[in-house]
Amino acid sequence: MMKKFAAMLLTGVMAISLAACGGSTGASSDSAPAAEEPAAEAPAADAAAEAPAAEGTEDTEFIVGFDAEYPPYGYLDEATGDYTGFDLQLAEELCKRRGWTLVKQPINWDNKDAELDSGTIDCIWNGMTYSTPERINAYTWSKPYVNNSIVIAVLADSDIQTPADLAGKVVIAQSNSSAEDALKSDELKELAGSFKELQRNPSYDTCFMDLKTGAVEAVAVDIGVARYQMRNNPDTFRILEEPISTEQYAIAFKLGNEALRDQVQETYDEMLADGTVMKIAQNYADDNLPDMLITE
Amino acid sequence: MSLFEIKNVSKSFGTLKVLNDISVSVEEGEVVAIIGPSGSGKSTLLRCATMLETMDSGELSYLGEVAARNDAEGRTVYASPSELRKIKSYFGLVFQQFNLFPHYTVLKNLCDAPIHVQKRNAAEVKKEAKELLVKMGLEGKEKYYPQQLSGGQQQRVAIARALCMNPDILFFDEPTSALDPELTGEILKVIRQLAQEHMTMVIVTHEMAFARDVADRVIFMDGGYIVEEGKPEDVISNPKEERTKRFLARFSENG
Amino acid sequence: MGLLTVIKQIASGFGATLIIFFFTLLFSMPLGILVALGRMSKFKPLSILIQGIISVLRGTPLMLQLIVVFYGPYYLFGLKLSTSWRLYATLIGFSINYAAYFAEIFRAGIQSIPVGQTEAATVLGYTKAQTFLKIIFPQMIKRTIPPVTNEVITLVKDTSLAFVLAYQEMFTYAKQVSASMSSLMPLFVAGVFYYLFNLVVTLFMNYIEKRLSYYN
Repeated sequence: MMKKFAAMLLTGVMAISLAACGGSTGASSDSAPAAEEPAAEAPAADAAAEAPAAEGTEDTEFIVGFDAEYPPYGYLDEATGDYTGFDLQLAEELCKRRGWTLVKQPINWDNKDAELDSGTIDCIWNGMTYSTPERINAYTWSKPYVNNSIVIAVLADSDIQTPADLAGKVVIAQSNSSAEDALKSDELKELAGSFKELQRNPSYDTCFMDLKTGAVEAVAVDIGVARYQMRNNPDTFRILEEPISTEQYAIAFKLGNEALRDQVQETYDEMLADGTVMKIAQNYADDNLPDMLITE
Repeated sequence: MSLFEIKNVSKSFGTLKVLNDISVSVEEGEVVAIIGPSGSGKSTLLRCATMLETMDSGELSYLGEVAARNDAEGRTVYASPSELRKIKSYFGLVFQQFNLFPHYTVLKNLCDAPIHVQKRNAAEVKKEAKELLVKMGLEGKEKYYPQQLSGGQQQRVAIARALCMNPDILFFDEPTSALDPELTGEILKVIRQLAQEHMTMVIVTHEMAFARDVADRVIFMDGGYIVEEGKPEDVISNPKEERTKRFLARFSENG
Repeated sequence: MGLLTVIKQIASGFGATLIIFFFTLLFSMPLGILVALGRMSKFKPLSILIQGIISVLRGTPLMLQLIVVFYGPYYLFGLKLSTSWRLYATLIGFSINYAAYFAEIFRAGIQSIPVGQTEAATVLGYTKAQTFLKIIFPQMIKRTIPPVTNEVITLVKDTSLAFVLAYQEMFTYAKQVSASMSSLMPLFVAGVFYYLFNLVVTLFMNYIEKRLSYYN
């Protein structure tokens, strides 16, 4: 009996370590500066990965990390059970053109840096805000592709009309989101200081739940997300006319991974030039994406 | 050659010395009763003899095979595990608390060790076990679990379990102390029967009348020493030592 | 968006929850026994080391342990993680955490068995391994069924902590469906799933307990 247990354990551990060594052939491992990461892959896997993505090898994986609770950029389509969204559709088209296999990897947004660093994802393509010096310096970025504004969403019948009315109110934002970053920035410090409290929750959906139930009085949020919520909850929410901040979205890569960034940028530019990006944005016209798109 | 011999045993628990240079040897077919007040060291002596307790110094042998001997400094050194395994098959022990295996049936309690430790033929062992149960007055109890039996029945199963190993000598550690008074008789009867069959036995007991009746030799222990030793009619009926007299007087007072 | 679609979506995450559940039990119970034996070892350094490990595993959040297991290889050893590591790290994290709890339950179970059982086995010539496997282990299992059932039920619910590694188990799914529908309903559906699963687990453990009550 003891022997059986030991054998079982051993098998388990071996399976795990083998898998851990042999597994992924992520695009970042080929195109990241080589010296940075000790080779941990098994030789066979290496050979496949070594074939540069630029030559369009078919089994090159492109792992996009995204928050699956972040519609319309990345979310679960309940009808099909697939992850979809504006950013993921862009990524699909891009991979098709480059001959890569797209892996849509949902992540816990709070762990996005560790995911990128450790190579479990190749990029974050998920309405990621290109702003604040800390953020800009922490990643290698694509060119911005969407103009976003951070707005305040309130209940339709709320008496809050302008950001100034938020004084003494309880406001919520997604933790580690651009909205939270913006409220911590020098420009908005004063506004944030006027709140009774700034709460944070890892999920935007929960933030709006809280707003609906009265647990908070306002949500600081990217406009696309706010519009998606308004569409799903007709007559429930309202967006203040005056955005608290305007900013841009870009794709974030691991710092120093210019090689992969350049490949993605090159294909994205093609997609933009031939109108494909706009076509995909039209799928999200209700969320105002065509207007937000950066077209040059 | 004695069947069992323990020589110059000393044993301390911390600063308390429970055995002081004790020596006992038992011949084949002999029945030895060890009596004495609680804390006298008689149970510890039995536990040293059955190797449940290690000796600080002293020597131990069964059938002339050495289980433990003293090194140059007089400290006990035990034989190798494989030698000890063999020596362990020479003796059996019946506990005060029976210590039957509750998850085994009566029959399995008897047969498991002979089959899996002694590697004897299972069918033969089972046959022998059933005969032993009949002899113990436990016919038809093969499939019972220990908890379904009375204390006296459980102790008889325990004796049968020890006998099923075909030991050369059987030790009893106060075999009736955990039983209601009305149940002690059935155990004593079984032991008496074994004595008539010339089973070699060492019995630690509080039953003075029984010891006098069944034992060839009685050892009175007190304070870690053997105070008096001899024929039962001498030690129990006519003790020479003051301490033995006092101990026995307390017994007769209590009835 | 019908209730049926929601149930279908959440059910698709149920498989992942089952994987965590079964593999955690499969690895943590045997590991727990080994850890319990190490904890009771007469070799003091081993016993103290294991006590320390158990103390850390029980004294820190499982969520944190999952993060350490998942990112540890990269941050400590610079190893590049693979996509499948997400599942393995989840299983390893859960298994060692639960092994710590099981170890203490098993230790209590082993220590509650009268020393006379070991002594009787020793005198009958059983080896240490035989004594443990034939005499102590079966009695220990029977005695520890109730606290083990508690842990197993807790594990069913704890599987949802795998969200921290974004492992796509049932509750992570439920939250995603909830986000895309902007409705709390999927979370309640998930709750029903957990409850029914635990009902099955409880009935099963009761059955085992009954099967083991052939003595006493």
